[in-house]
Amino acid sequence: MSKVAVDQAHRVVGSELVRHDAVEKVQGKTVFAADFSLPRMLHAMLKRSEYAHARLVAVDVSAAEAVDGVVAVYTAADVPNNTVWVDVPGQTLEVGALKARSNVLADELVRYHGEPIALVAAETEDAALAALDAIVVDYEPLPVLDDPERALDPDAPQLHEAGNLLAHWELEEGDVEAAFAGADVVVEGEYQTQFIDHAYLEPEAGVAWRDTDGVITIRAATQVVEHFRDVARILELPDNKVRVIAPYIGGGFGGKEDMTVEPYLGIVAASTGRPVRMVWSRQESLIARQNRHAVRMRYRTAADADGRLLAHDIDILSDGGAYALLSALVLLYSTTCAVGPYRCPNARIRCRTVYTNHTPCSAMRGFGGMQVTLGYEGQMDRLAGELGLDPLELRRRNFLEKGDVLPIGQPLETAVALPAIADAVLERLEPLPEPGGPRRAVGRGFACNLQPYGRCVWLNDWASAWLGFELDGTLTIRIAVPDIGGGQASSLVQIASEVLGVAPERITIHIGDSALNPLTGTTTATRQLYMSGNAVLEAARELREALAGVAAGLLEVEAEELEFRVDGVRVRGGDRELDFRTLLAACASVNVAWHVLATYRAPKGIPWQAEESWRGRVFPDFTYGCHAVDVEVDLDTGQVRVLGYVAGHDVGQAINPQSVEGQIEGAVAMGLGYALSERVVFEEAQNLTATFAQYLIPTAVEVPAIESVVVESGEGMGPFNARGIGEPPIGPPAPAVAAAIRAAVGIELTELPFTPERVSAAIRAAGGGR
Amino acid sequence: MYPRPFEYVRPHTTADALEAIGAVDREARPIAGGQSLVPMMSLGLATPDLLVDLAELPLAGFERANGTVKLGALTRHRELERSAELAELLPLASAAARYIGNPRVRNRGTLGGSLSHADPASELGAVALTYGGFAVIEGAEGERSVAIRDFFQGFFATAVGPGELLTRIELELPPPGTGHGFYEVANRADDFATAAATALVTVDDSGACTEARLALAGVGDRPLRLERVEEMCRADGLEQDALERIGEAVIETVEPEGDPFTSADYRARAAGACAARALGSAWRRARGEHR
Amino acid sequence: MIVELTLNGSPARLEVPAHWTLLRMLRDAAGRTDAKHGCGEGVCGACAVLVDDVAVNSCSLLAPQVDGASVETVAGLAREGEMHPLQEAMLGSGGVQCGFCTPGMVISAVEAIRLGAAGSDEEIRHSLAGNLCRCTGYGKIVAAVAAHRDGSAAAGGFAGAAPGGADRTEAGGEGAAPAPGVGIGP
Repeated sequence: MSKVAVDQAHRVVGSELVRHDAVEKVQGKTVFAADFSLPRMLHAMLKRSEYAHARLVAVDVSAAEAVDGVVAVYTAADVPNNTVWVDVPGQTLEVGALKARSNVLADELVRYHGEPIALVAAETEDAALAALDAIVVDYEPLPVLDDPERALDPDAPQLHEAGNLLAHWELEEGDVEAAFAGADVVVEGEYQTQFIDHAYLEPEAGVAWRDTDGVITIRAATQVVEHFRDVARILELPDNKVRVIAPYIGGGFGGKEDMTVEPYLGIVAASTGRPVRMVWSRQESLIARQNRHAVRMRYRTAADADGRLLAHDIDILSDGGAYALLSALVLLYSTTCAVGPYRCPNARIRCRTVYTNHTPCSAMRGFGGMQVTLGYEGQMDRLAGELGLDPLELRRRNFLEKGDVLPIGQPLETAVALPAIADAVLERLEPLPEPGGPRRAVGRGFACNLQPYGRCVWLNDWASAWLGFELDGTLTIRIAVPDIGGGQASSLVQIASEVLGVAPERITIHIGDSALNPLTGTTTATRQLYMSGNAVLEAARELREALAGVAAGLLEVEAEELEFRVDGVRVRGGDRELDFRTLLAACASVNVAWHVLATYRAPKGIPWQAEESWRGRVFPDFTYGCHAVDVEVDLDTGQVRVLGYVAGHDVGQAINPQSVEGQIEGAVAMGLGYALSERVVFEEAQNLTATFAQYLIPTAVEVPAIESVVVESGEGMGPFNARGIGEPPIGPPAPAVAAAIRAAVGIELTELPFTPERVSAAIRAAGGGR
Repeated sequence: MYPRPFEYVRPHTTADALEAIGAVDREARPIAGGQSLVPMMSLGLATPDLLVDLAELPLAGFERANGTVKLGALTRHRELERSAELAELLPLASAAARYIGNPRVRNRGTLGGSLSHADPASELGAVALTYGGFAVIEGAEGERSVAIRDFFQGFFATAVGPGELLTRIELELPPPGTGHGFYEVANRADDFATAAATALVTVDDSGACTEARLALAGVGDRPLRLERVEEMCRADGLEQDALERIGEAVIETVEPEGDPFTSADYRARAAGACAARALGSAWRRARGEHR
Repeated sequence: MIVELTLNGSPARLEVPAHWTLLRMLRDAAGRTDAKHGCGEGVCGACAVLVDDVAVNSCSLLAPQVDGASVETVAGLAREGEMHPLQEAMLGSGGVQCGFCTPGMVISAVEAIRLGAAGSDEEIRHSLAGNLCRCTGYGKIVAAVAAHRDGSAAAGGFAGAAPGGADRTEAGGEGAAPAPGVGIGP
């Protein structure tokens, strides 16, 4: 690392910079995946299963092939390598238990409603639609498994050769039985969460073509350009003959982390030699795209008379749907986060995820750290109730501190600023509003959480970035980061500008290209600011050091006396300066390069060994939060209105405060939808939630004004001590709303979402209705 | 994802439109605002062979005549929502209109389209039932009038026959001393109603209820007038305790459909709450107590 | 069939099948990808454009229905290469994240302000309830609309209540726009 100090008072980092990508987006000029077209482009569509579990007796595509305008129809037999084992996306190492089998097109069996069976490529979309109508599939329906509790029964339909247990993690820390025996209070709770759809506004889409030298190039809305390797395997091509480009993406949230359109585009482009576009309809995205896992959690919790946690005994069963995808990794997050941001000296945690005929479940914002917030916070509220303690006070008595270790063995090496966050949130709160009418009640609830940022350390994560000056003093960044709307690209511009002085408007960043940009890993796991940011920071510092050396010689000062400004380099406190153009020319004459390729490596970890009583680090670090919500409940209709919301997080250092707020507000809105209205509804594993009218994401009316309280502890593993903020704020809303509803009407809700129907039924059951 | 191919005509006269709609050799459907029909076609739920665009027909506009208000079938929801004159004449229609879909749906959607589509959750169906009056239907043989209470005949089924068009409705103006009330329960803003209640209450000089009308959307295969409940209003008044009993009566009377998203029981309860609240505010408006 | 229209101020003559929606015609025949396909159901608002100065969901109109009309996408809001002030306000407030909902949001907000339906934050939220956003949580979008409204009101951007403004208040009850489920009730 460079020894040149960066100016302590940040110039650009910490300022509310208008994102460069926003200027084009607000004018509608951004070319999203489906906005791109090439001459002679074909259109590809998928024929999807109507059954949740069936044997494919016959798939007759002859009538489809005969439709005017249809160029090709593919089934499983036509795919060079139809079944691939996919590693955790973006990984370069084998990760054993986390690898998942993936089918491109169904061959003998379909295991979920909407599973792709055949692929059509046609000159027009209308021809493709007509071809889909003409494909005749002969199904032999099979018994459907739609109850995860039954999945492990010996007589349940076996969905995969190795049985229905997809993955499991178990640990036991301390002496749980003794802790329960000696406890002053024990509370129990069973909590149930629902399947969730990502519901990004941009449906899955992409365009592929065969480029120079036969490189199959796929420009798709993806969070992971490293999927070029998986496509290469499917097409039986060398890795370096496939290129994935990620344009600006209309929302990801984990739903574009696994492959979506990429394999199909690759197949058509490779076999026809023509460009091809595939755009999924919203309806097929809702039916067939992977969901957030539905999870059943049983918690038994023991505490002493002062409310200090003694033990948790936790059993988690997660419905993984028909294929594994990232389920094992998601479950690991649940295992790590299951007791919440609290000291818990004794814990038994058993987590299992099973196959069913539901839509395959995989990554979604918060991963497995999301569902468990309802469990651990629900238990804290029960304890507070039993002991007659203020819920926030009970939590304060148990907050983790820097230096503590989670039950799984994870050390906490940065500040755990929860007390300060809670104080800041309390300070921001207004008095609870009065109910708006005679049949309304109001209540306030709190919830805290922890969420990892950065990938699981066993994955040996790294990120690379290339920075280089142009001869006219402008700066170019090349980094294969996908930007899904969270300002991934613009924050890197800010970091480079901070270190090198170049104005943000004079920096161009090339993103998301697996062939032309250094790989930097996935835009997932709240890792990009941490990883790519550190890579860019590293590169910028090296570049600065190199240029400073040359400038110091020319200006006859020490390198430490130099400041990097908008136009060039200046001696601190003086007036001697050197503009970039002159400096770069000087670099050329002394053979000093003005570009750098840097790689940042995350801390490594030793993977879980299932045979031993494993303890260790799982993640680099965590972000902590404390939220408060005010709700008004309609006693007759059960409708819950969110009146106000305050969300507090320690972000270490805010690179772009407006972006930080934007991430907090967006995640809270998503969390409120999870709490109150969103769910994917199945009936015998048939996905009934087929329209955007039925999948209830909150509108501008349901989401209140959200106050972000940003605490900056100055400790974090990201650049300038930043912590990740993309995922953490999504966890607290559901338990906070549960607590607020309890405060308002005295009912306990443990099944998500808290629909008006469930709320009104609970009110009546508690005797509060009419 | 997209509508399947069809032919499209845009006739200039009602006679031409009727002839096109009356085609027997293929499925011909009229399109007005298209805010239900086009999404249905995109979802594959409707596959007409021919669309007959009614845009050029002289079916917009409204006029007051002899204790009724005549509303052309092509009156846009937006006009119902924003016209000062209609708000004065038919305040219940004006109030309900702003709950129809989102603003862009209201910019295009029409009264005739909504009533002819006859979604049981449609607000305007309940509004029309509450005011009462006639639906004027035109066919090859000319015009005929159907009482609004006979217009809605089942799920997405009305008195409009093959080759016919709803051209206008004529709503009865309530007497002086009448107040309106509207209440809707929906999942989110702009969503279809889980249940909605439309009410008109007339009071005498002492403020007592002399006449009450109540219609519900979303609780059956068509919008419903609840005459038994209306009788309760006249007999027992509309104070808070009476409203509570009315809510209970509605819950007991209606028999809505349930589905995996919303149970029949909840729809009934929502209807009960809507009815009590709509009647309550109609009564207060009639008495001049509601701002 | 041939559809003749004015598109963002310029005459256009497009040949499309009759069953194409306006959205499809804009994107695939006219190359105007600033109207987005989000749902195809008229629910999300990403496809919003102006037809004869009135906002519509272009996925819910058929191409032949705009024959003879004037259509504006968000690009049509620019004047002499300058962004519409509401777009500037969106940039200033941070109301753009992934940007996919943004064109439709701008169209809807422009109309809401023009019609006088953006008086309070609550009213703005109701006017934008049909424009779904999954990234921002709406707060910064509402702030941008309010900021622009105040800016343009100061400059005399819109004069008083649009037709029916008084009724809108009355229809909402108590002078406030209704919250979900709150009709004209207690």
